[in-house]
Amino acid sequence: MFRLPKGAKILGQGITGYQGSTELPWMLSYGMQVVGGVRPGKGGEVLLGVPIFDTVKEAIETVDLVDGTVLYTPPMHTLSAVKEALEAGLKWVLITAEKVPTKDGSIIYALAKEHNACVIGPSSVGLINPQLKIKIGSIGGSDPSRAFVPGEVAIVSKSGGMSSEIGLHLKNNGLGVSWAVGIGGDRIASMDFADFLMELEEDDQTKTSVIFGELGGTYEEKVAEMVRAGKIKKPVVAFIAGEFTQTLPSEVQFGHAGAIIEGNRGRPDYKRQVLKEAGVKVAENFDEIANLVKEVLRNG
Amino acid sequence: MILYEFEGKNLLKAAGVNIPNSQLLHSLEDRVTLVFPLVLKAQVLSGKRAEQGGIVFANNENELVDNLEMLFGKTVNKEVVEIILAEEKTEIEKEYYVSISYDTETRGPVLTISESGGTGIEERKANTYSINPLNLDIISDQNQLFGLPQELIAQLIKLFFDTDFLLLEINPLVKTKTGEWIALDAKIKLDDAATSRHEDWKYPPRLVAGYTPTEREILAKKIDEGDHRGTAGSTYFDLPGDIAVLASGGGGSLTAMDVLLKAGGKPANYTEYSGNPPKEKVEKLTEIVLSKPNLHGLWVVGAIANLTDIYETLSGFIEGLRNVRTKTGLKIDFPIVIRRAGPRDKEAFELLKKEIQDFDLHLYSTETSIAESAKIIAEKAKEYAKKEENVSVT
Repeated sequence: MFRLPKGAKILGQGITGYQGSTELPWMLSYGMQVVGGVRPGKGGEVLLGVPIFDTVKEAIETVDLVDGTVLYTPPMHTLSAVKEALEAGLKWVLITAEKVPTKDGSIIYALAKEHNACVIGPSSVGLINPQLKIKIGSIGGSDPSRAFVPGEVAIVSKSGGMSSEIGLHLKNNGLGVSWAVGIGGDRIASMDFADFLMELEEDDQTKTSVIFGELGGTYEEKVAEMVRAGKIKKPVVAFIAGEFTQTLPSEVQFGHAGAIIEGNRGRPDYKRQVLKEAGVKVAENFDEIANLVKEVLRNG
Repeated sequence: MILYEFEGKNLLKAAGVNIPNSQLLHSLEDRVTLVFPLVLKAQVLSGKRAEQGGIVFANNENELVDNLEMLFGKTVNKEVVEIILAEEKTEIEKEYYVSISYDTETRGPVLTISESGGTGIEERKANTYSINPLNLDIISDQNQLFGLPQELIAQLIKLFFDTDFLLLEINPLVKTKTGEWIALDAKIKLDDAATSRHEDWKYPPRLVAGYTPTEREILAKKIDEGDHRGTAGSTYFDLPGDIAVLASGGGGSLTAMDVLLKAGGKPANYTEYSGNPPKEKVEKLTEIVLSKPNLHGLWVVGAIANLTDIYETLSGFIEGLRNVRTKTGLKIDFPIVIRRAGPRDKEAFELLKKEIQDFDLHLYSTETSIAESAKIIAEKAKEYAKKEENVSVT
């Protein structure tokens, strides 16, 4: 389950590094409880009042109950950090690192299934819930209220920047957010759009979801399939970016590792078409998203 | 990174997979010591070489000379042939298509096999098997493999995984009349993200298959070399329009391009920087983006940033802007529309207002959407173009 409870406590693996130590004060000032950090060789140090441990196991033994862990480890060390967390018994992991090799990504996904754990990412911008004061990762930056105010719309996005941009767009149109999360733009997302949307079916706060998709892969198509099958019942609004890339050579990566058209796979126009056919509201223009959300909220 | 056929075959050979006796030819002077008949294969990155005349046969010395003369320097799907792989022809009993790649549906590696290989595999029925990355020896039912030896398949799966391939495609993998298994082709794609754990990956940089890059595209790609802090210019395309685009973020840049085109603007390029790059990278990318002649506008655009330091990156932009004017003498008097927000944006905007009063600058933040700012730059660029036209007429 990705929905952490109010007051959830998390660890930060690799939090003493550049990115982690930049984001730690942002999380703490939002009210997020980061109760320990992990960095081999730095055990015993304290960062902004947060005790640092050599291992996840040690951290858990000392600070007691922990709901999950956020990983700031470099890409090449991410797989071993995930293993360490899962083997220590943690069931909730969020991976921020970009450029995790695809092989490692596939192993991480298989491990998550084996351990029956919720693993978000790689390359996730984070998770935020403005009402519960949950903020993990860089999502919303240093001042999350600029983009995210409490409400009943969930945002699930391949793009980190655009998850906040959607939050901002909703806010500018008088709407607020229940959960916003980055699934990451890698080929293998341990939690994909459908995984989040399925869980949001049971979330009382969420009335509808906005998904931000782009060229590459089949995660958007899977949403269409599950809406069509009646498994996703709450209304979904989608925006799919990257239509202009269809005029450029294929087999080229645009930004994210998974943003690539291979053969006929991953074309934005096809994604839009199957989503529309399944009954998902697809925004033609980004600025239309809020109107579509209002429309489905009225009709829902 | 896509490998040339000969590079891929070297990896297969090193892993114990049979390939034909072969020789790599770089010029007509190279002496061929193979046994006729031969197959001559142009080494280009794009597929469908045979249809384009990139694969020819030679039964004797005369045919060899004629065909090498014909192939060297020939253009196959926009790539000029500089290297030819000469191979001894194989007597084929049966052909197969085999590929291993990652599938977003199973979120893991998948093996695809079809009974007869050759060109046109896209239309043929193929069997696909999901591979569990935690336990690679999955295929136990011999019948499923159409008679392909299980050890060979296991060997290929191990090679794919151990060497961080994104794609291994052998088309065809053949059984010879003497019962040997030989890979007649190899299309291999390496995972660039895994480069640092493969010291033996010493492949020279290469371009997109079937596409001739421009000078700016090559320059932009170099910005990230040897510096892993953030990214700038790793994907860059010159486009036929008149509005230079300096976009931020993977998803943000895609959205920006789509809305600019919808607003009637014509982008002069696609590129992006993201992940909080140092200002030097943004400076270099700014110079490349603005080096194009006949621009009528510049759009600096991004979603509200989470991590990227707006002050740092826009400082780099200012440097780049100044450099272009001093280095190239270009006027840069066209409209510049900036739509940015995120960490330290207030400081950044103060700096912009103070530092670049000698440019036609228009600043927007969260009150203006990406799409609205696209309309503004499209409009302003058109006005500027009209003005320029009038000046040149009079």
